[in-house]
Amino acid sequence: MVSINAVLRFLSPRVTVRAHCDLPCGIYDPEQARIEAESCYKIVEKYAANDDVAYRTRAIAIKEQRADLVKHHLDVLWHDYFKPEHLEKVPNLHDLFWQANKQVSKVKASTDIADAKRLLELIDEVDAAWKATGGLEKTRVAGRPS
Amino acid sequence: MSRSLGARLRGPWRVAVIEGSMAPGILPGDWLIVNPLAVRWPARGAVVVFREPLGDTLAIKRVAARAGDQVQFAGGYLTLGPDEAWLEADADEKAAAAVDSGPPIDSQRFGPVGADGLVARVLFRYWPARRIGRISRRRKP
Repeated sequence: MVSINAVLRFLSPRVTVRAHCDLPCGIYDPEQARIEAESCYKIVEKYAANDDVAYRTRAIAIKEQRADLVKHHLDVLWHDYFKPEHLEKVPNLHDLFWQANKQVSKVKASTDIADAKRLLELIDEVDAAWKATGGLEKTRVAGRPS
Repeated sequence: MSRSLGARLRGPWRVAVIEGSMAPGILPGDWLIVNPLAVRWPARGAVVVFREPLGDTLAIKRVAARAGDQVQFAGGYLTLGPDEAWLEADADEKAAAAVDSGPPIDSQRFGPVGADGLVARVLFRYWPARRIGRISRRRKP
C-alpha cells in the first residue's frame, strides 16, 4: 500500500523559487510611536511658552512631521504585528488603533496640550495590548536595558 | 544568451514557492507546473520563473511590461530594450506582511530583466489540492 506521504514525496518539486521579499526584521515596538508622540507633546509645550512667530512656525512644522511618524509606527504595529488571533485577548484592538490614529490627526491640527496628552494615553493602551499579546517577549531583543 | 534546448529540457518542470510576494494568488508552499521551453517573455500578465539580475536568485513574478514599453522607475521613465521585461510582485507591502514576508522585491529594485534571465513560464498549481488550477494571465490585482 502506497502512503499519501510517499505520493507527496514523489510529487514534491526539487527546485524552489522565491517570491522574493525583503526580510521582515520582526521588531515591533510601541515605544517608537510613544517617542514621536512625546516630541509632539513637548513641541506643544514649547509653542505655548514662546511668542516668536518664526519659532512657532517651525514648531508647527516639526510637530506635523513627528505626528506623521506616530501614524506610521502605529500603522506598522496594527498591520504587521497584530494578527487576527490577538483579537481574543484585545477585543477592542481595531477601535483602539482607530481612536489613536484619529487622535494623531487631532494633535496635528491642535496646539492644545490636552490633545497631545490624550495621544500618549492611547499609545499606552496600545502598549498594554502589545504586552498582553506577548510583544515584549516576542519582538524585543533580549538584554536591552529597561 | 538564452539556454540551449538541452538545458531547457532538463527543466525545472516543477517548482515549490517560498516567500510571499505573489500573495494572495500564489502563496508560500504552492507547487507549480512550469514550462521551461519558453525562450521569449510571455504576454503581459503571465507569471514567470526567472533568474534575478542581482545575485542569480531563482524567483517568480508577473510580467508587467515588455520590450518597447515605458515604465516608471527611479522618479522618471525607462523604455525597455528589445528582449527585456519588467517583472512585478502581486503583493504590496501589506499583503506580503499578512503572510509574514517583508516588502516585495521586484523590477523596482533590480530593474528590467533580459530574456537570458527567463527560466520558465508558470502554467498550473498542483498543490495544495484545494487550490489546484491554472495560473491565469492577468493584470496585477
